[in-house]
Amino acid sequence: MASIVLLSSVFHRGAKPLFHRGALLARPLVVPHKDQESPFLLSARIHVSQTVNAAAGSNAASLHWTGERAVSVLLLALGPTAYLYPGAAVDYSLAAALTLHGHWGLGQVLTDYVHGDAKIKMANAGLFLLSTVTFAGLCYFNYNDVGICKAIALLWSK
Amino acid sequence: MALLLRTLARRSAGLSRPHYAVLCRHTAPMGTTAEDEMNKFWAKNDKLNRPMSPHITVYNWSVPMLMSITHRGTGVGLSGAISACALAALVLPGSFPHYLDLIHSLSVGPALIGLAKFGLAFPVSYHTFNGVRHLFWDMGKGFKIPHVYGSGYIVITLSVLASLALTCL
Repeated sequence: MASIVLLSSVFHRGAKPLFHRGALLARPLVVPHKDQESPFLLSARIHVSQTVNAAAGSNAASLHWTGERAVSVLLLALGPTAYLYPGAAVDYSLAAALTLHGHWGLGQVLTDYVHGDAKIKMANAGLFLLSTVTFAGLCYFNYNDVGICKAIALLWSK
Repeated sequence: MALLLRTLARRSAGLSRPHYAVLCRHTAPMGTTAEDEMNKFWAKNDKLNRPMSPHITVYNWSVPMLMSITHRGTGVGLSGAISACALAALVLPGSFPHYLDLIHSLSVGPALIGLAKFGLAFPVSYHTFNGVRHLFWDMGKGFKIPHVYGSGYIVITLSVLASLALTCL
């Protein structure tokens, strides 16, 4: 994800404040590196990917993160709504929110476990296909069959 | 982080007064992104055919670790189940009530029905409650270790209770 560099929080004046530092939520990505010219001074090579991207104008990753949380909250709200006001509107909203939440969630799983450019591309293509079929199937079910809310109600009535 | 602290401590033992402001001058931006570095790591280790270092088989499991992987497991499982249902809706010829009647006619017995309901309710409950816990973390709250454990136990308790309640609905 984003590599945030917080030099001020790492290179704090004096050693004591550094050790008693509270929860550092944004960890600096600093690589200690022995500088050839002055071997007794700590040199750090830092990742500036996020700042570089920010300069290039891309906050796509940040927006994606926010979008994920927004859909999660929406899905949370849809739960009781589906119970209290079952119907077509909630059915289609559930289909969309469930599919998107699942798509993004599985995307994170793939990002964690799949490595190598070709494998990542293939895995993401497969996931896209799965999500598309899932959404199509859920919409088909909502339109041609009883719908998600009614289906769960029937299933539970047994 | 620990490596950096240890290196700093070692350095400051040799110097009379470490001037950290001076150290800042020796930072150099790397040409590559963190993602590039990570890909290079995986490519190198794959090419050299190195075995994976033991991690989950060696590291002591903790409640937060277990809860985290369970959150992922329930998520993947639920997503798979939803996709399977969607696919079934597209492929199978009959309607949902038709297949439900088929299952009814099997006369499974109340115990198994209860078990099945609990089996469906628990992943949903757990993933929902732990999801809320995640959202609190996203707001920056509840990271202290006692709070992580405390909120974890609350999530487990609520999940079990909610699942039982839903089963008996």
